[in-house]
Amino acid sequence: MKRITILTGHYGSGKSEIAVNLALQKKLNTLVDLDVINPYFRSRSLYEMLNKHGIDVIESTIENASGSDLPFISSRGSRPFVNTDLMAVYDLGGTRHGAKLMKQFDAFTTNSEEIDFLMVVNIYRPETETVEKIMTAIDDIESASQLRITGFINNSNLMEYTEPSMILKGQEILESVGKIKNLSIKYTCVEEHVECHETFLGETIILRRYLAEKALAIGGKYGKR
Amino acid sequence: MAKVLMKGNEAMALAAIKGGCDAFFGYPITPQNEIPEYLSYHMVNEGRVFVQAESEVAAINMVYGAAGAGARVLTSSSSPGIALKQEGISYLAGSELPCVIISVMRGGPGLGGIQPSQGDYNQITRGGGNGDYHLLAFAPESLQETVDIVKQAFDLADYYRNPVIIAVDGLIGQMMEPVDIDKEVPKMKLDPKNWAAEGKSGERGSRNTIVSLHLDPYDLEKHNLKLKKKYDEMIQKEQRYEMINMENAEVAIVAYGTVARIARSAIETLKEEGINVGILRPLSIWPFPRKAFNELPESVHSLLTVEMSLGQMNQDVHLADKCRHNIEFYGRAGGVVPEPQEIVDAVKKIVRGRN
Repeated sequence: MKRITILTGHYGSGKSEIAVNLALQKKLNTLVDLDVINPYFRSRSLYEMLNKHGIDVIESTIENASGSDLPFISSRGSRPFVNTDLMAVYDLGGTRHGAKLMKQFDAFTTNSEEIDFLMVVNIYRPETETVEKIMTAIDDIESASQLRITGFINNSNLMEYTEPSMILKGQEILESVGKIKNLSIKYTCVEEHVECHETFLGETIILRRYLAEKALAIGGKYGKR
Repeated sequence: MAKVLMKGNEAMALAAIKGGCDAFFGYPITPQNEIPEYLSYHMVNEGRVFVQAESEVAAINMVYGAAGAGARVLTSSSSPGIALKQEGISYLAGSELPCVIISVMRGGPGLGGIQPSQGDYNQITRGGGNGDYHLLAFAPESLQETVDIVKQAFDLADYYRNPVIIAVDGLIGQMMEPVDIDKEVPKMKLDPKNWAAEGKSGERGSRNTIVSLHLDPYDLEKHNLKLKKKYDEMIQKEQRYEMINMENAEVAIVAYGTVARIARSAIETLKEEGINVGILRPLSIWPFPRKAFNELPESVHSLLTVEMSLGQMNQDVHLADKCRHNIEFYGRAGGVVPEPQEIVDAVKKIVRGRN
C-alpha cells in the first residue's frame, strides 16, 4: 500500500465507508475528509471513534460547526503530502465536483510515487453501470483533478441484496475498462454480511458500514424492513 | 426490472422522470440538492424542461405557469424553501392546478440547520398559505416506497387538480438503498386537460382562463365548496397507512418516515424483552389516516407518538383517537434522530406506569 491513498468516484459509490475501513484495517494515522458536497454520511462524523484508534481526522468543516455545509478546506489538508510520517487516506466528494479539490495540491501530487489515486466503482449505481459510463467518469474526474487515476476499488453491491455474482460482474466490467485504460483493481470490497467463498482481483476488504450504522441509528443490517 | 443502488434524492428525481414530469423549476437548498442536480442533466437529455429559478418564489410561480399550460410539473425544496413557496402553493390550490412538490425536511424554525427533521408537519398538513385548501401529502419511509409514491403523485395531482406534496426528512433524501425504479404502480384513468391555457383558444373557439380571484363572495364560497368536495373525496379515498405487528400489541407506536424505520428496530428489542408493541404508520399525512385508529386491537391500552418534532403529528393522533387510549409522546428536534433505545425506554416507561 502506498503512503497516501486518495479515493474518488461517483457520489454514493462508497468512498467514505471505504476510507473509514481502510484507515482502521491498515492502521493509518490520518484520514482527510475533503467531501465538500455531502451534508450527511461524512467520514468526519466518526472522528471520536477514529481518534480513539489513533487516527487524526482532518476535515472540511469549520471546527465545532460540523452541521454546516460551507465548503471549507482546512490548511491541514496538505499535511500528509509534506510530513512523510503520515499514512493517510483522502476521502473526496463525489464526481468531478469533489475531485477538483485535488487541483490545489498539484505541486505535491505531480509525479509523486507515494500516491494511489483510486476510483471506487459500484456498477449497481446507475451512473457507473457500464464500461462507457465508467470511461466518461474517469475522464471527468481526471480532467477536474488534473491527476491520473492509478487503479480501481470494486465496490459493486446492492447492500443487503448483494450476492458474490454481483461483485464478479463488477469485476468483469472493471477489467474491460482496465484493459482500455491500463488500470487494475487494487481492492475488492465485500460487505461483512455477504456470505462469500469466491476470490476476487486485488486485495479483499471486508467492509463494515460504520457511517450507515451511525447515521441511521438502526444498527445491524441497515435496520429491519 | 432489476434493482439499482440509489441515493434518496436521486431516486426521487428519476421517479419524477418516470412519472412523466415535463418540467422542473427549483432553487438549491440542502439537503435536497441532488434532486435539481440530477434533473439538470437528465431532464435535458430527455428533451424536457429544467430551470434553476432565481429564487423559490420565482420557481413556484413558474410551476403555476407551466401547470396552467397543462404540463406535469415538479418543484422540490427543503423547509425554509417550502416556506417561501407557500403563497404560490395556495394560488395553485385555489386555481386548481396540479403539480408535485418534494419537501426534504431539515431542522427549523428559520434557517434552522441542515440535519433531518419532521418539523414541517404542520406546514405541510395545515398549509402555510392562505385560505381553505389542502395538499394531498405523503410521507414514505423507504426509498422504494418514495419512488412508487412520486410516480403516482403526478397521476393523483392531475386527477384531483391539486398540488401533491411528498414529505421526507433529510435522511431519506441522503440515504442509499436498493430500489426497483420500474416497479409497476397503479395508473389512474385521467380526463384530458380541457381546462389548460395552452394557447389554442383559436382552435377551440373559447378562451381558457386560470384565476384564483373571485371578488363576489357568493361566487368564492361556491368555489370553496367545490374545492371541499375534492378534499372530501381525498379523505374517502387516500387515507394510506400500514399496521405493523398489531396482534396482541399492548402499546402502538404512531410514527412515519424515518422514525417508523427506527421504531421497527425498537419493537424487535421490546419483543425480546416480552413486550408486544405495534406500529401504526401513516403514509398519507393529509388526509391523516383516521380510519387506522378504528382498527387498533383491544389489546392496545396506550399510544406512543414518536416524531422528529416536538409533537406536531401528535395533535392529529389525539384528534383521530378520540380519547380512546392513553397517549404519550416522545420527540427529538433540531436535526437529532432518535435512537431505537430511546423509543424502547419510552415504551417501557408507559408499561411500567401501568404495572
